Amino acid sequence: MNVLSLSLFRGLIYQVIGTGVGMGLVMLIRLLMRLPAWKPEPVWVGGALMGVITFMFGTRVLEDWLRWARGEETPEPEHGHEQLVGWKRFVNVSFDHKVIGVQYGATSLLMMLIAGIFAILFRTELISPGMQYMVPDFFNTLISLHGIVMIFSILLGVGAMSNYLVPLLIGANDMAFPRLNAFAYWINVPAVVLLMSVLFLGGMDAGWTGYPPLSANLAKMGFSMFFLGVYTFGLSSILGSLNIIVTTLRLRAPGMTMFRMPIVVWGAFSTAIIALTATQLIALSFQLVLFERIFGMGFFDPTKGGNVILFQHLFWFYSHPAVYVFVLTGLGVISELLPVFVRKPLFGYRWVAMSSLGIALIGFFVWAHHMFTSGMESYLRVPFMYSTMLVAVPTGVKFFSWIATMWRGKMIFPTPMLFVLGAISIFLLGGLSGPPNATVATNLHLHDTYWVVGHFHATMFGGFIFPFFAAIYYWFPKMTGRMYNETLGKLHFWLMLPAFYIQSLGQMQVGLLGMRRRIADYDPVLGLEGTHFWITLAGYLIGISIIIFMVNMVLSVRRGEVAEANPWNSRSPEWQLPSPVPAHNYEEPIEVVGEPYDYGLAGSVYTSRKSPPIPAATGD
Amino acid sequence: MTSSNRDSPWRVLIASSHPLFAKGLLSLLQKQRQADVMLVGMVSTIEEALKALSTLHPDLIIVDYDDEKVNRDEFLARFVEGEGRLRVVLLSLKEGGDEAIVYDRRTMAASQIDDWLENWSATAALEDSAKQSTRMDDSKRTYPKRSENMRHIIGAILVVAIILGIGFFILNRANLLPEQASVQAGKIDGLFNLHFQLIVILFAIVVGVMVYSIVGFRRKSGDYSDAVHIEGNTSLEALWTIIPLGIVIYISYLGAIILGDVERRDPRPVEVDVIASQWSWRFEYPDYGIISTELILPENKQALLHLSSTDIIHSFWVPEFRVKQDALPGGIEMVRQLRVTPTQRGEYKVLCAELCGLGHADMRAPVSVVSQAEFDAWIQAQTEPISDDPVERGAIWAQQFGCIACHSVDGTPGVGPTWLGLYGEEVELEDGSMVVADEAYLYEAIRDPGATIVAGFLNLMPPNIADNMSDEQIDDVIAYIASLRE
Repeated sequence: MNVLSLSLFRGLIYQVIGTGVGMGLVMLIRLLMRLPAWKPEPVWVGGALMGVITFMFGTRVLEDWLRWARGEETPEPEHGHEQLVGWKRFVNVSFDHKVIGVQYGATSLLMMLIAGIFAILFRTELISPGMQYMVPDFFNTLISLHGIVMIFSILLGVGAMSNYLVPLLIGANDMAFPRLNAFAYWINVPAVVLLMSVLFLGGMDAGWTGYPPLSANLAKMGFSMFFLGVYTFGLSSILGSLNIIVTTLRLRAPGMTMFRMPIVVWGAFSTAIIALTATQLIALSFQLVLFERIFGMGFFDPTKGGNVILFQHLFWFYSHPAVYVFVLTGLGVISELLPVFVRKPLFGYRWVAMSSLGIALIGFFVWAHHMFTSGMESYLRVPFMYSTMLVAVPTGVKFFSWIATMWRGKMIFPTPMLFVLGAISIFLLGGLSGPPNATVATNLHLHDTYWVVGHFHATMFGGFIFPFFAAIYYWFPKMTGRMYNETLGKLHFWLMLPAFYIQSLGQMQVGLLGMRRRIADYDPVLGLEGTHFWITLAGYLIGISIIIFMVNMVLSVRRGEVAEANPWNSRSPEWQLPSPVPAHNYEEPIEVVGEPYDYGLAGSVYTSRKSPPIPAATGD
Repeated sequence: MTSSNRDSPWRVLIASSHPLFAKGLLSLLQKQRQADVMLVGMVSTIEEALKALSTLHPDLIIVDYDDEKVNRDEFLARFVEGEGRLRVVLLSLKEGGDEAIVYDRRTMAASQIDDWLENWSATAALEDSAKQSTRMDDSKRTYPKRSENMRHIIGAILVVAIILGIGFFILNRANLLPEQASVQAGKIDGLFNLHFQLIVILFAIVVGVMVYSIVGFRRKSGDYSDAVHIEGNTSLEALWTIIPLGIVIYISYLGAIILGDVERRDPRPVEVDVIASQWSWRFEYPDYGIISTELILPENKQALLHLSSTDIIHSFWVPEFRVKQDALPGGIEMVRQLRVTPTQRGEYKVLCAELCGLGHADMRAPVSVVSQAEFDAWIQAQTEPISDDPVERGAIWAQQFGCIACHSVDGTPGVGPTWLGLYGEEVELEDGSMVVADEAYLYEAIRDPGATIVAGFLNLMPPNIADNMSDEQIDDVIAYIASLRE
């Protein structure tokens, strides 16, 4: 098969050509303006921008829209691609939400792997004081990229879960706008390419937060690629979440009221509301810095009348709610899986559903808690302390509901359940280490230290990484029709959990004792070598556990045991379908006739089809 | 639903406007269930039915599916939305009467209805017991499972207590905060301790109950049935919403009070202008006209630091003082204040806490807290006239303005070219041209660092670094560079 017939490779080749053409175009304009043709930054930025556009044309994801614009007949989607089997389906444009979900997931894992390698590299540098094998400049680029690539990975992972699960779980046959869905996925790929180019185009040294004036430093061209990459990526978030919201509101099966949706849909829905309304702010703030770099507009440059604090407000207005974008879907997965493995209804369904919306709402009023030491108006810090603390209330509702769900259950512990339980304990650690940051007085000590690093790694692992792995293991039989290897799955968990605790608690401790964030080297006077050694060791263990996970996935996709129809004995509608799910999910429409989590209520069913339903409860 | 043991007959409510339908049905049911059934009422509209639901407490409602007067869709909707867990059967005599719909809107065949009615009493009993166990507060009932539930609660409390014990043991042993060297640190540490204790307590409660559940509520081997059906409990949910709300508001309140204490202004503090640059700190004492690269503070006297930056954002942090404040570029309007009252004599370090590029990790400066007498002596020594020798003065300026943070004087490679043997030599520039590093060139390179870049180096020197330097000071620095000719 010709490589050029696959969207991914065609797109990448178009991107390279487009970048060249764009660079030429900018040089031409410069010549016409009687400027020297070659000035690296504007030329590269012009090329990069053009490359993104040509990539999209190259993949032909725009084909149907272009046909509509020309007034031509549009053939049914999928026909051209159905013949593709195996991995080739996933590197080609597809409008099937399940294929797109897997595409998101695979890209997410790839990003996680890359960012993880970055982490391993700089953790090795930090294993003892003094520079081991790295120069500070490269170190700064690595930590910046580790942050933003992990964020890409998380957003892609959230996209994977919401794309794959939302239509299946609400009884829809696809997303509301399948073409837009494909577009939202494919625009990620050139964004990722741009982000990786930072490594080769000068690097960046301001962390993923990219605060100017440092990020406006023209000596580091990597910043421009970073801003452009995030900007492009943001487009994906906005369009993807628009799709999720419309799908959730319009395509639910008959009888499925909002309060009868599987709870993970509430998580994805709340997430989408935040992503749709806040992402513009980070795109805007990065665009302003990009304009400052290229056109010399001094939005944040004090020598040109700009203000350095303004950027931080714009930036955090998205980037704090973004934290809830990262975790709400994951927390939804916890609430979704728990009842299945406890064999008991989710305790206080409505409270749990509303707590997601509550977190999403409060999340918009807390951004300035990242700025307690920034030099913004001093008195403003107090209201932001109160609003930030309020987040603890709906989050607490989730925790208490989870433990009440477990109480008097009949629990079983396959790998996905282990990850759910691990997620709860780690997210708890992350959540509880939050209030000291939120309290202004203690924040003055903690801000920009490793305590914060430990805190947010715990929230990310508990709110995304562990639930994401739980979701992958849980729905693996649904995606592939095969079971994963249980032994390897458990090994993955039992390596990752203790290693993460060592890493996170270690980071918190060194932070309290005076270890600053984002430093390439630390003072041996602090006496932190021992703890740093353990943190690095734990990092290696996490890396090994991820390798085990990857091996498990690759082996099981090909050789795993063929899965039973409903291996978890779940009531959810997707498990009433064959695995893998056929192209248009529900050939026969379903009707919702009961509550989603009525485990232990004999004779009750959640969804019904014309054919007699399978009773979900009771022994078989 | 009154009791779990079925000595009393089933209470049936029939919704139909045809009396015959009811009578026929009743006799049918009685025949099948050996007179175990009692007709408690007959209703013909939804309003009546809903009223009867609350007054007559029926166990089963049978709705005439064919009766046009009873709007069954609406009835079902009202019923399904409601709280009650009753059974409703919609019976139809049309189509041979072989279909019925039970309360969860499942359609089943006539034969299945018989099964359903058979199993009905069994499931109802199971469900009743589930309901009872969630309503612990209702003392009028008998609780067959109460002792078992008590056992679980005590078990969970024990696990929580053990984790609490371990948590507090670690908390007391662990080395968590650096030395406390300021008045502000004392107040902040009080809050830290409260936070740490809360973390341990809440962690122990959630993880304790979780661990107990994992051990105590694991599925017995061979048991494939589901657990009890408990949907939730509104009063519990309200409780664990309101209590945390109270706690966080209280902590925020405490936080605000302590913030006030931390920012309390003492009369006549020692004022110091703290100027951050990539990658050095400069401390100016405007009252005495002293410029220093070391921050010297008298103990037990509040220092008022005016923080600013010459280039990008930096952040002033001495861990032992606990407080932190960013230093911002942008002139007088962006100067920010930080108050700290050192209490412990000793040597500390200012650390830059905001990533500021290449030399961030090494952006440190010494801090000495000394007695008032020592401080006065230091002021005295510093205010004496500075040397007449331009080379000596240049060395001082080079240090105070942070030049030597990037330009070494002993030939070690740094961010910028070393000064050792630089003066008078020919230097290759970025564009390949050659230039002699003479006085004029060096002056230009200090005033406008971006104009020419030496080959092999980046344009990192802040363009405004020399804004606070006089021409005389620059001349002194050049003299100092010239003295390093070897």
